[in-house]
Amino acid sequence: MKTARIFQLTALLLVVVSVFQVGYWIVDQREQALSKVAALERQYDHELAAGRALLTAGIPEERLHGLLPDLSVAGGQVQVDPRVTEALAAEQHRRINQYLWEGGFFLLALCACIAVIWMALRAEAQVLKEQDSFLALVSHQFKTPLASLQLSLETMNLRPLSPEQSRTLIERMLADLQRMETLVSQILDSVRLSRGRVDLKREPVPLAAAVMRVVASMRERAANGRISIETEVPADLTILADPLAVDVVMRNLIENALAAVTPVGGGRIIVSSRRVGSGVELTVRDSGVGFRPADQARLFEKFSRLNPGAGSSYYGTGLGLYIVKRLMQLVGGTVTARSEGLGRGSEFVLTWPLAAEQS
Amino acid sequence: MSGGNYRVLVVEDDPHLSAGLQENLRAEGFEVHTVGDGLKAVEWFAERQCDLIVLDVMLPGLDGLGVCRTLRSRGTTTPVLFLTARGDPADRIRGLEAGGDDYLAKPFHLQEFLLRVRAILRRWDWYKSSSASAASAVLRFGGNEVDFRAFRARAFTGEVQELTEKEAMILKVLAEKPGEIVSREDLLERVWGYDVFPSTRTVDNFILRLRKRFERDPAQPRHFLTVWGVGYRFLIGEEP
Repeated sequence: MKTARIFQLTALLLVVVSVFQVGYWIVDQREQALSKVAALERQYDHELAAGRALLTAGIPEERLHGLLPDLSVAGGQVQVDPRVTEALAAEQHRRINQYLWEGGFFLLALCACIAVIWMALRAEAQVLKEQDSFLALVSHQFKTPLASLQLSLETMNLRPLSPEQSRTLIERMLADLQRMETLVSQILDSVRLSRGRVDLKREPVPLAAAVMRVVASMRERAANGRISIETEVPADLTILADPLAVDVVMRNLIENALAAVTPVGGGRIIVSSRRVGSGVELTVRDSGVGFRPADQARLFEKFSRLNPGAGSSYYGTGLGLYIVKRLMQLVGGTVTARSEGLGRGSEFVLTWPLAAEQS
Repeated sequence: MSGGNYRVLVVEDDPHLSAGLQENLRAEGFEVHTVGDGLKAVEWFAERQCDLIVLDVMLPGLDGLGVCRTLRSRGTTTPVLFLTARGDPADRIRGLEAGGDDYLAKPFHLQEFLLRVRAILRRWDWYKSSSASAASAVLRFGGNEVDFRAFRARAFTGEVQELTEKEAMILKVLAEKPGEIVSREDLLERVWGYDVFPSTRTVDNFILRLRKRFERDPAQPRHFLTVWGVGYRFLIGEEP
């Protein structure tokens, strides 16, 4: 990282030096052009003086013109040929113009280089800063399940336990491992998504089947928390999306709803869907802890775990809703959240484009 | 020291950690109660009491620092052991400034946790037992009167001042041996336990606070004397 920074700064320095070099070149070339013209003018002056002397010495005018072709001689008067003077002035003008244009162009190109390098440096500093805070947050998220794992293991090491107590501890440890595994895969997903490095397909996906698959995999967990999941998704709705992305989005939203309902001791989650214009709208409604309307914008930020007073996101990683938002953006869909306040449940609404008109 | 008769409140929102701590403290003989968020912890305290609070810093509702500040502002002097996922020195100091007694970063070792719990309780036992008799509960010096049991003092100005638990403990340690030198390390060990603060400067700051409260001229102390390079000496009467 440090080497890259040194290279970048060296490049910047070289370009800045080049700017001065080009500036100097323009000034130098202009001076040289001017001094060449001055030398020529001096030469013409000498020729003029020589011409006049020769004329006075009685050299005929035609002969003189042959000897000093830059002079014009008429009626005993000698002067530098006006065409020569004009040509000299024109040449001087052309040269200086050429240097100004060429130099100006180089200067402009170099300044553009400086701007580009400068912007790259700034962007990189920003990325580094974001990475640092992301790392800090990630390591922080791992500490709770790690602490729980360590506590369970050390308990087993320290105390004689009944088989039942051991089983409880083992189950607890397995759940902690599961939490960390979820965290790892969500971190990877979110890193890929925030760099836009995902190849999403756009193909017709039957929505009802996709929803049912996710709900079925979570029924047991829901039942343990005394939570009912109801689905009202018409069988004929087919959306244009990436099937894997739909699965991830649904999973995250239902996980989120489970985490919101668990602390209030159970309740309902309703997944419903309908056609709206040329799109499909899917709503996940829960009777959980809800959130303050003012916090709505923060919900979808990375690691923004709102703490709505009832211990909502027990196992939340703070990445689920960020992943949902990015995936929906990438497939051209939207996601919005609504809640009437703490303790009043919440509602997440997704929209996808409808796949080609159905019969 | 067994956990007998001690009641501990565990405030932790993670159900696994909360259960694990509860089981272990019970196994050591403590009576344990648990709550999962900050506001509930404050509510719990409005009706009940305990000998020690194990307090997570990141809590829903009201965070651990907020809980500690609220309890302290209501006059609760129950010792607090903070648990947190952040363990850098700045966070430690924030926790101790909020009125915490000790600080443990997650993930932690179970035996260290139990050791610290016992150390805090031992310090409090010492403080309580050494303030138990009517004679030891009150300290009078230079027109000041300190009531160790009420954590309250009447200064020579007549003003009644609330003492923090740490101020009271430092006073107690110093007053145990009037006229003798007490080192900074000794004060740290007796009042805070081991490796809590990054430096002994903290002790100096507390002594400055005590001088402001009880000395007629804090710049020319007559009771809380500095022994350069060593520590402090407390005099009940003024230096002859």
